[in-house]
Amino acid sequence: MNQTVQLPAVCEFMSRHLADVFDTMLSLKAGLVAPTDLPHYEERVTGAVGFAGPTVTGAVYLHLSAPFAKVMATTMLGLAPEELSGEAEVNDVVGEATNMLTGGLKSWLCDCGYDCAVSTPAIIRGASFVIEPTMEVEREWLVFECGAERVVVEIHIKLN
Amino acid sequence: MAIKILSVDDSRTIRLIVGKTFRPYDVQIIEAANGEEGLVKAAQEKPDLIILDVTMPVMDGVTMLTKLKEDPNLKAIPVIMLTAESGRENVLQIARLGVRDYLVKPFKEDQLIEKAGRIVTLEKKVAA
Repeated sequence: MNQTVQLPAVCEFMSRHLADVFDTMLSLKAGLVAPTDLPHYEERVTGAVGFAGPTVTGAVYLHLSAPFAKVMATTMLGLAPEELSGEAEVNDVVGEATNMLTGGLKSWLCDCGYDCAVSTPAIIRGASFVIEPTMEVEREWLVFECGAERVVVEIHIKLN
Repeated sequence: MAIKILSVDDSRTIRLIVGKTFRPYDVQIIEAANGEEGLVKAAQEKPDLIILDVTMPVMDGVTMLTKLKEDPNLKAIPVIMLTAESGRENVLQIARLGVRDYLVKPFKEDQLIEKAGRIVTLEKKVAA
């Protein structure tokens, strides 16, 4: 039996979950700030993981500045910056972090009666791009302050 | 003799984190990127413990674990499952498979050490 889930509840879950993932994997505190303050990154690294089931579809995008993505990789892997083998290693870490975020959301949705499966992570790199939702898909941005950095989680979701 | 731990995960990040977690201990880490590779490495290396991801391409963790339990030479190897999904159904399914323990991602390194330490004896490396 599905509980009625709406976008604000999804966002509330994701706010808590991102703080948990960042605290656990990076020992970093991440706090939600006003979504009007969408950051502009000179170079952006975005992790993307989709989810789909009979009554819910969507995707989670984790937007980071390229320098912060590198910090995340070195912290999670316990490496010095010069030990990173390149963008592939950073991409893998950002993909895994996005996977953890979406995996948590998937579990929460399943517990609410919205069975779904998640995709493998993909990475988008670029200076300026916008991800447009398709028709009937709701979108929300969650902006987090993490030290001096801004991290954005973009949620696209369609609940049937 | 070093404890052998087989880390089976399609994410190189997670395999590196597992390696980093056990670095202070007298542990040899063996890696595999999916269940199929994991079964081959398990048969070759006879690890003392397997840390196994659930969702992987080629062969997932559930299938690998099922095959492991069917093999008389491998079925006694203890397994800790790693999963990014903490939902009730997922956890129940994992529990039914006969794993020794499970850990939900994200996890603290201390949690993995604690769970592994309940199964194998972890000894700190002696400084040279």
